[in-house]
Amino acid sequence: MLDERGLIEDARSLGGNYHLLKIAAPGIAASAKPGHFVMVRVSAAYDPLLRRPLGILECRPPYIGLYFQALGRGTSMLAALGPGDSLDILGPLGNSFPEFPGKKVLLIAGGRGIVPLYHYAQVCAERRPLFLIYGGRGKADLPLLDRIKALRLQGLFIFSEDGSLGQKGLLTSGLEKIVREERPDVTLSCGPEPMLAALAGLLKPFPMQNLASLEAIMGCGFGVCQGCAVRTVTGALRKVCDEGPVFPLEEIQWPT
Amino acid sequence: MADLSVDLGFRTLKSPLIAASGTFGYGEEFLPFFDLDILGGVIMKGIFREPRPGNPPPRLHETPAGLLNSIGLAGPGSEKLQESIRRLRARTPVPIIVNVCGEDDDEFVAVAETFSAMAEVAMLELNISCPNVRQGGACPAQDAGHTARLVGRVKERIRKPLIVKLSPNVGDIVGVALAAQDAGADALSLVNTFLGLAVDIDARRPVFANIYAGLSGPAIKPLALRLVREVCRKAYVPVIGIGGISSGRDVLEYILVGAAAVQIGTINFREPAAALRITNEIEAEMERLKIGNLSEIRGQLQT
Repeated sequence: MLDERGLIEDARSLGGNYHLLKIAAPGIAASAKPGHFVMVRVSAAYDPLLRRPLGILECRPPYIGLYFQALGRGTSMLAALGPGDSLDILGPLGNSFPEFPGKKVLLIAGGRGIVPLYHYAQVCAERRPLFLIYGGRGKADLPLLDRIKALRLQGLFIFSEDGSLGQKGLLTSGLEKIVREERPDVTLSCGPEPMLAALAGLLKPFPMQNLASLEAIMGCGFGVCQGCAVRTVTGALRKVCDEGPVFPLEEIQWPT
Repeated sequence: MADLSVDLGFRTLKSPLIAASGTFGYGEEFLPFFDLDILGGVIMKGIFREPRPGNPPPRLHETPAGLLNSIGLAGPGSEKLQESIRRLRARTPVPIIVNVCGEDDDEFVAVAETFSAMAEVAMLELNISCPNVRQGGACPAQDAGHTARLVGRVKERIRKPLIVKLSPNVGDIVGVALAAQDAGADALSLVNTFLGLAVDIDARRPVFANIYAGLSGPAIKPLALRLVREVCRKAYVPVIGIGGISSGRDVLEYILVGAAAVQIGTINFREPAAALRITNEIEAEMERLKIGNLSEIRGQLQT
């Protein structure tokens, strides 16, 4: 973990409010693993005060790639940066995904939840059979599809709620069929909370290991402020930043 | 070369900068970022006798240049903290200060006794001012009589210097400060967070389950600075200024109004090595202003 001054090499808008940044951050890039995230300081001024937690999309030392949606003040300021701009990045943070050598792995990504799973696929696709289910509201919410098609996946299943791409509907509508047919040993998921909550129910009958990467509002990203607590089924609170962001799916108390 | 040391009367610190409770974990988390021994001290996150889960999420809400928190003093309990303190001591000689909490006065006394007995602990800070333990923000520091009784009881049972941390959410902070001082506090630290409210207009509900939360960060600096000045004008024990400090200039402002030392808090979340940068900035400002030691300007605000 280090706090590094990153230099933006390339900045792209992917349409809608989706953005891609390629940042030279050699120290972080040298040790980032799939599932890790970074805390990015978007402004030298004190508004916004805190850094923003962002997953690492890819890592090609000395570069890391970040993919995010400009939704609020912080991410909009980040989206306005361009090549030559620098920004402070703290990372790599969090616990990352295990590698699961030899296992058949199903990745389940909703919207920008593709970030850590893309990273996992890029690093691990050559070493094990990988399947990916990728869903969003419509075509505009799946702007990374061309890159994803270039990954060595054994199966790719696309869903869009409006039917503009792939099968029409939520990805959870087609999940059971895919799980029955492909019989994965492990699922790795990331996406909106309602999607993860639905997955927890749908995957329960199957004898698989299910891990989910969680999003949370964070103050520091390295375990100090305790602002990112999430409730588990035992009632205990766990920190998403340094006890996660990857947790067993069934360990989290999902809203009903 | 500027001399950063400050004299608290009962102890000299090598720097006026102390890491504030609740913003510095248990110290170890910051070892990757800088040598903690540049600090005057590090204050452990507030501790109760037993482990506490803290408040339900959400626990944070950003405001312009500020942060509302409702963590609720989540912590591992006294026994685990003793282990953390021993581990930290093995890594750095920086003075370790324990922030003592309690659900009631008996617990405050018991926790203070436990850590007073630890050789690794330099002093205690009595946290009578956390706004996130009870709904509505009630705490002992809102009542001068309660403050005096509690400080007196704790002082009787400990053999370490005692800092008493005060709340800004009172009508007369000077009255509470003097009550703590007269009951035996060796130093006062102020202020804890300001009670604030965040509203979710979609849900038409408060953002936090506790309704109110504590505001910190650069946004509160002018408010805190005024309260520190008020207390410094009346108290004879050293005052440790807290509130929104994020630069060397901020530190000098607090010293000028009379603080003997300061704590840095929320800035540690944004910038893990903030203490190192601020230390360098204090030295640079002292050189620019030709100040050999901060005692030369302490309380020298001209009005």
